[in-house]
Amino acid sequence: MRVVVDPDKCVGHGRCYALAPDVFEPDDDGYCMVRHYEVWPAVAELVRRAVANCPEEALTIED
Amino acid sequence: MAAEPASGAGLFGADLAADPRPTFAELRKGSPVLRLPDLQGFGDGGVVILSRYEDVHFALRHPEVFSSTEAAVDIGQDRPLIPLQVDPPDHAGYRRLLDPHFSPRAVNGMEGAVRELAAELIEGFAARGRCDFHAEFATPFPATIFLRLMGLPMEELPMFLRWRDGIIRPQVDPSDLDGARTVRKQTGQEIYAFFDAVIDDRLASPQDDLMTAFLTDEIEGRRLSRDEVLDMCYLFILGGLDTVTASLDCLIARLAQHPEERQRLVDDPSLIDGAVEELLRFETPVMGVPRLVVADVTLDGVEVKAGERAILLLHSADTDEAEFDGADEVDFGRERNRHFAFGGGPHRCLGSHLARRELKVALEELHRRIPEYSLAPGAELSYSPGIRQVDPLPIVFPVGAR
Repeated sequence: MRVVVDPDKCVGHGRCYALAPDVFEPDDDGYCMVRHYEVWPAVAELVRRAVANCPEEALTIED
Repeated sequence: MAAEPASGAGLFGADLAADPRPTFAELRKGSPVLRLPDLQGFGDGGVVILSRYEDVHFALRHPEVFSSTEAAVDIGQDRPLIPLQVDPPDHAGYRRLLDPHFSPRAVNGMEGAVRELAAELIEGFAARGRCDFHAEFATPFPATIFLRLMGLPMEELPMFLRWRDGIIRPQVDPSDLDGARTVRKQTGQEIYAFFDAVIDDRLASPQDDLMTAFLTDEIEGRRLSRDEVLDMCYLFILGGLDTVTASLDCLIARLAQHPEERQRLVDDPSLIDGAVEELLRFETPVMGVPRLVVADVTLDGVEVKAGERAILLLHSADTDEAEFDGADEVDFGRERNRHFAFGGGPHRCLGSHLARRELKVALEELHRRIPEYSLAPGAELSYSPGIRQVDPLPIVFPVGAR
């Protein structure tokens, strides 16, 4: 399982790095940076939740 | 509660602001794209009201159809407010300049002072057993943080608040549109004149504050003009002094009337992050945002034409059962909460990271010092339409707790 962010869609709501800080982090402007594209099992649920909570639909899971 | 949305009269009144949900549910069901030919205060040509999550979502994310340019709303300004009333692509440059000052990292650096201020304000009324939460916390807390950040004098707060109210809720009869326009215009001129003088001061003696940063930061190798700085300051007075106050009012009014929700947060503060998101969704203090339609579009079978004005009902979108399971229930553990309390698309609220931190810290500090509180007996709350402040917000609590 991999997670990717579409930088054209991200506007910096910050829901992803609030919900799954081990996987996402804010850049200097508050926009999403993916720290680890490869999602490991222990954080998979949090990543799914982060994806579901992005108001811009900027995150995608690739199985 | 069914107001008469067809006339538009009930859509922006104080009665509706107290509990917009039933009326908005009817709108979403019966007329999700509602055209009001003569809604007062929105100029000629009427206005189109969008109430469904899906349509609001579309409008927020398509500025090439739903523009934010100044024609969308007259709030006494001489030029478009920056960055709110600037569309992409110019908008992006301004956000690149502003975003770092309001990023999560910047907010982390402020948290200590924010927490200290919250504790200090709460200490001011904790021994009294009652307070007007709006006047004694919800107003001074975000205002102090904002004024420190900008480098503006605290002792001028009453003047800034007067300006804010002059623009957002001018004290004239609701039907007196010319009166409202005059108050806004006069207030606007005062705002420009004040900040013009502040700019002169900072040019002469730079400080470590946002006012100075506006004058020294660069976009693509150039500094901002005086007018550009003024157009940011105008917006900041409105955004910095109103929305977190309204959010705190809405949150505490809710918790003061729902002791089981309050108690859960007191017992387990780790729920606060989720609770802030959920209460922002449920209360959506900024009920709607205006846009100018600049390209024809069909939504829910209704043709919307370029040149029409539109209001995107964020509050209605955030309580739309098509997007949120159990939309009328407050659920601190909600799995999927893609709310638009901070708007969305390129104009997502610049201050959202700071606002979230302020709300979280406020709840943590209040519950640490005053874990039990409720509305003062007999209190009847009044919510201001548009941006939902609750003034006054009298609460009572046991003294000597903790």
